Amino acid sequence: METQQMTTLVGVLDQKMNRQLKQYLDICARCAICKDACHQYVATQDFKYLPARRAELIRQIYKKYFTKTGEFVPALYEARDPDENLLDELYESTYACTGCRRCMYYCPFSIDTAWILSVAKAILIAAGKGNEMLGQLADAALFKSDNFEMFKDIIVDGFKDIEQQVKGLTGDPDAEIPVDKQGADILYVALAGAHSILPAAVIFHEAKVSWTLSYFEAANYGYFFGDAVKARKIADRFMDEAKRLGVKEVVITECGHAYRVAEIFHEAWSGEKHPFKVRHILEVIDEYITDGRIKVRPDAIKEPVTYHDPCQIGRNGGIFEQPRNIVRALASDFRDMTPNREQQWCCGGGGGLVAISEMDEFRIKSGTIKAEQIKATGARIIASPCENCRLQMEGLNDSMELGIEVKAIMDLVLEAMPLPGSFAKDASTD
Amino acid sequence: MSEEMKADLELDLKGLLCPMPMVKVSQNIASVAVGGTIRAVATDPGSMADIPAWAKSTGNELISAEKIDGEFVFMVKRLK
Repeated sequence: METQQMTTLVGVLDQKMNRQLKQYLDICARCAICKDACHQYVATQDFKYLPARRAELIRQIYKKYFTKTGEFVPALYEARDPDENLLDELYESTYACTGCRRCMYYCPFSIDTAWILSVAKAILIAAGKGNEMLGQLADAALFKSDNFEMFKDIIVDGFKDIEQQVKGLTGDPDAEIPVDKQGADILYVALAGAHSILPAAVIFHEAKVSWTLSYFEAANYGYFFGDAVKARKIADRFMDEAKRLGVKEVVITECGHAYRVAEIFHEAWSGEKHPFKVRHILEVIDEYITDGRIKVRPDAIKEPVTYHDPCQIGRNGGIFEQPRNIVRALASDFRDMTPNREQQWCCGGGGGLVAISEMDEFRIKSGTIKAEQIKATGARIIASPCENCRLQMEGLNDSMELGIEVKAIMDLVLEAMPLPGSFAKDASTD
Repeated sequence: MSEEMKADLELDLKGLLCPMPMVKVSQNIASVAVGGTIRAVATDPGSMADIPAWAKSTGNELISAEKIDGEFVFMVKRLK
């Protein structure tokens, strides 16, 4: 590797350096408590997935270029250059991480390994070694917004198809999926798929709220890729739309990372305070049920149901009780997993891993603990409000023959609502 | 157009929810030679914007994107 390129990579670390990162890099006592917290390390026993080891690769560059001991006696202090060997090691341990932050929860010093790995991704991208698939998906999202007039009619046509199903389910020929509605109370940000639009449209209709659907999807592959500028621009698409429409709140669909980006990161990235609230759709649905704005049949689901806390909504987003309230309101046999809430095991599907085919085998293996947790509940249905979690658990269901149905919470709500039209299981894909 | 051309790879993406149809096309493009084609059939309406956006942003050619009997049929040519 050219000296100039190495200098550039060290410059990336320098740009990202702040008091918090320096503390994370200085303070690790190598106690290895994090090894028992990481589902990937526990499932594989592979040293490269040990959280402290992942961070150690960045720490080695830090020692070489930011400490005198590492600069002058690198061999003694395990200080290294960001050469090809180090970057290859860094790629695998970094893009394999789901960013669940369970290691941080158990770390005595609360070292945020996911934060350190966000710096690792910035270094890899600067070296031209960012994950190609995640980069392509981020670019496709930006292409859609940069060339919006090319796609606007296609997107709206898709909404109109779904609108017909909303009319059927609600029995209301005037039911609609409003788009670009100035002054609506809520801007709902769905995924590109119909499955996240249809149930929300029915729920908003039945709750008689003023809402409008975003043209843009919530998913943010720029975040998974590790490019903060692209990630911000992808989120800007619907944040700018919300400002233009003058909504009171932005409601994010059942997607883990999209919620965290919108609620936790976007204000910091943009440097502006949002003139609206940001909430997860489950916070809203829980409120509607509690206030009686929508009705659900209390024993609509008789089979045992369990709930998986997506890491970005639960441990990293603080939403624990609302989804449980919803499931308990409509299922007669709710069984929580052990452990749960802040201590919930990651399912293994986050971080964009479901899109990285070369990690498929590893990803499924890393979900072994989650599969055992699900089995232990004896549940026949697992509900989870995150697309990546559901994709992963469907993979676990197939490969480990769990015999479960994996569902979104909104789908359960729709099944439990007394609607004039019947809820067809495959309505979202018709 | 998609019915007239024989594709080098057929992808059945029916039932997959967006963005997975786009992800699957992206994952499989390297398995056809440069100049080769993929015919993909999806059922999620979101794919009608996703797959063309992916093709254009990655420098591949979207030969056609059609809605046929409730399904979304794409012909994509690998250009690089």
